[in-house]
Amino acid sequence: MADEKFVLTGIRPAPEAPPPVRPAARRDRPILAAVILAVIVLGCLGCELVMTKDPTYMDLMNYSRPPDREFLFGTDTMGRDIFSMIWYGGRISLLIGFVSTAISTAIAILFGSLSGLAPPWLDSLLMRLAEIILSIPGLLLVVLIQAALGEATVWSISLVIGVTSWTSVAKVVRTEVRQIRESEYVVASRCMGGGFFHILRRHLTPNFLPAIMFMVVMNIRGAIVSESTLSFLGIGLPLEVISWGSMLSLAEKALLGNCWWIILIPGLFLVATLVCMTELGNYLRKSANRRQSNL
Amino acid sequence: MKRNPFLYYGQKALTFLMSVLVLSLVVFYVARLAPGDPLVSYYGERAEKMSVEERAWAEEKLGLRDPIYVQYVRWLSGALHGQFGRSFKYKADVLEVIGGRAGNTLILGGIGFLLIFGLSLLLGVFCAWFEDRLPDRALCRVGTAVSCIPEFWLALVLILLFAVSLRLLPSSGAYSVGKADDWGDRALHLVLPMAVVVIDHLWYYAYMIRNKLLEEVRADYVLLARSKGMGKRQVLFRHCLRNILPSYLSIMAISVPHILGGTYIIETVFSYPGLGTLSYESARYHDYNLLMVLSMLSGVIVILCSILAQILNEQLDPRMRSPQAPGAGEEGGHG
Amino acid sequence: MSDALLSIQHLTHCFRLGKKQVLRAVDDVSFDVRPGEIFGLVGESGSGKSTIARCVMNICQPSEGKIFFDGIDVCSPKERRAHRKLLQTKRQIIFQDSSSSLNQRMTVADIIAEPMSIHHITPKRGSCRAEAEFQLHYVGMDPSYLDRYPAELSGGMRQRVAIARALSMEPALLVADEPIASLDVSIQAQIINLFKHLQEEHGFTFLFIAHDLAVVRYLCDRAAVLYHGKIVEIAPTKELFSNPLHPYTQALLSAIPIPDPRRERARPLRVYTPGPVTGQLAEASPGHLVLREEEPG
Repeated sequence: MADEKFVLTGIRPAPEAPPPVRPAARRDRPILAAVILAVIVLGCLGCELVMTKDPTYMDLMNYSRPPDREFLFGTDTMGRDIFSMIWYGGRISLLIGFVSTAISTAIAILFGSLSGLAPPWLDSLLMRLAEIILSIPGLLLVVLIQAALGEATVWSISLVIGVTSWTSVAKVVRTEVRQIRESEYVVASRCMGGGFFHILRRHLTPNFLPAIMFMVVMNIRGAIVSESTLSFLGIGLPLEVISWGSMLSLAEKALLGNCWWIILIPGLFLVATLVCMTELGNYLRKSANRRQSNL
Repeated sequence: MKRNPFLYYGQKALTFLMSVLVLSLVVFYVARLAPGDPLVSYYGERAEKMSVEERAWAEEKLGLRDPIYVQYVRWLSGALHGQFGRSFKYKADVLEVIGGRAGNTLILGGIGFLLIFGLSLLLGVFCAWFEDRLPDRALCRVGTAVSCIPEFWLALVLILLFAVSLRLLPSSGAYSVGKADDWGDRALHLVLPMAVVVIDHLWYYAYMIRNKLLEEVRADYVLLARSKGMGKRQVLFRHCLRNILPSYLSIMAISVPHILGGTYIIETVFSYPGLGTLSYESARYHDYNLLMVLSMLSGVIVILCSILAQILNEQLDPRMRSPQAPGAGEEGGHG
Repeated sequence: MSDALLSIQHLTHCFRLGKKQVLRAVDDVSFDVRPGEIFGLVGESGSGKSTIARCVMNICQPSEGKIFFDGIDVCSPKERRAHRKLLQTKRQIIFQDSSSSLNQRMTVADIIAEPMSIHHITPKRGSCRAEAEFQLHYVGMDPSYLDRYPAELSGGMRQRVAIARALSMEPALLVADEPIASLDVSIQAQIINLFKHLQEEHGFTFLFIAHDLAVVRYLCDRAAVLYHGKIVEIAPTKELFSNPLHPYTQALLSAIPIPDPRRERARPLRVYTPGPVTGQLAEASPGHLVLREEEPG
């Protein structure tokens, strides 16, 4: 064998270049969407300050009035002031959106982590179960559970929507947990003595949170849509509980009287909220994917 | 690894049967938990006038006093013989009621599905062609906004515009009174519901095609084809589109129940006599026999479509066949 | 024996492949690593190098055998628990693939400071950040990289960050599991020089795993050749390269390319016919052990 001195080629003292400057802040931040959403949410939270009339008072002299100076957005077929109802009812709609998403996300993270950390046989059983639950048509499940729970309230509606909308997030959590569990930085962290909660907090959560953030925002949107659809169909909140959905359930009567404002104005608020949420969600998704695409 | 196709499809069929069985169990239990007098759904209004003895006799006869799993087994054996009970509201056999309505839903959903399929392809290719240029950016904006609109509200707005204000199109039903056989009249009644079905789902799928195409365009083989002198259009249609089509097919298989669910709501708004209005009515009037069969029907369609998509995926991509990579198990044992 | 920092005795590790198949990935391996030396572990892929490293780090529980680190039996759960903190700080591992051993969502500063935050150690240099900066400087990187994410760094830089993370606990033993295999050749040289520097100037002890003989020859003081889970030869590097005794070692060494085309072409290539390795390690000369095949029949 060769017995001359071993020379390592390719060693050249490479000067450490200072890192290149990072690109400036991203330009397509959804500022407009955030502002509109903030206005709607703040207006709904502080509706006492915004409302011009009592939203529950039925002014039988002034029913189905088109928008004018006194009734900014007109009145509905029962004589209630739509402008006040929008802020007052928006509070309920948003509340249902958040509560049901909190319920569904909690179930999803629990179920997903459990399935992700479980041995393969339990994992596939749990996922099969989730698939079957997913296969029951959401609307019909809602109807059945609603029928079992009795008269709809804000909480029962939230519960029903939450219980029926967790499967997609759970699937993502499970996949992420399974992937991260095998990754070397978790092994490294364990070698360094990181306990389960350290790993959950520093490694698992930061890694699956961006992945599900988008879906969570979309779930809030979906929950608001579900509530309004159910209430509109008359199997959700009753007329007396004001929400954007129950306001729109007067639409049939409004169509007969050609009262466009009863349909268009609450709907526009609803759609504006949904569009803004989607914009925010899309931004979240893009920023979550940013680091991967840089590779 | 070679697979026995008989075994493969047998396994899929078994999965399907098991899923349907569990589904029926869940639906049955939930339906029995629901309040409401089950006797009413068998005897209609007569049930309210029954004496105590008569009620006891009827409950005994219908087996309502048995434990719920006995009832379930009885229902299942009836269902296997094609007997799903009678609808209380329509005073007819459940299958008959559903059969009378299914055609309308099939027309609305089927044509809607085909339209969505074709138009989303067109729209997606269009956007990918003009990637990040004005037409693409504008369409993305508008499309995202439109896809946020809840179906029922879009339907209301269209009714307000075309039926109430302009008086161009009918707003409800499948045909005008006395014109059941007039196909032109039926088509006119289909326009608005169909528009809502298509508009509401179109962008979701078009956007998916756009993104898949853009991903595909980044692949190296495109560069090669371009450098060999192939035109942009040729590469896009001959190679990229053909590559994404199979995976798009499997997505469309999953989309069937999705679109169907949308159809249900839209039918209700337009009072279009299909399965959607039927489910809505059966839910409102606690017609549990009908509601259960409808739930089962939708569930079966969902399961069927998801298995179909799974098979499609596995035929396209052999990697999807085994749920975990070989070797993962042994690693897991020591983790 | 008593002067060894790491002592591996009759280590055996089996993987269950199926219901009946058992793979003996590591088969009755014994060696010592003395303080301050770089001990190389060479072998082709699948010879059980990484499994040994994983057993040393308690990632895998060995089927049989004992591993003593600083006199602590790391395989016994009881002793492990009693010396948990010492074991977790004084042994550190550097993985082969730096892109997967660093969390993509943590900054370089957070990554380097992670072991400190786990053990709630007050850093010597005031704050965690200052400590991270010091360690980063130590491995030859600009402190302006502190707020970067791993994805923004090159492979060599990521590996340096991983080394810095390991060094931040001032370990007695560094287990390097093929730390240079996924790097470019010129970057490999930088990292190797870093290791050399760390040993010569600061007296770190390494268990260095590689499949590249040239690297082992340059870097290691002693080396063991692993074949199918068994050590076939173990000797000081110089002795191993000048006087290989086992046919497998000879075949391995003959495969090192010579950077001279004429001599490279004339070089005899020995072929080792693979077969089951059996026998006992026997001492050929002081410190040089070789596996002697038992005479068949």
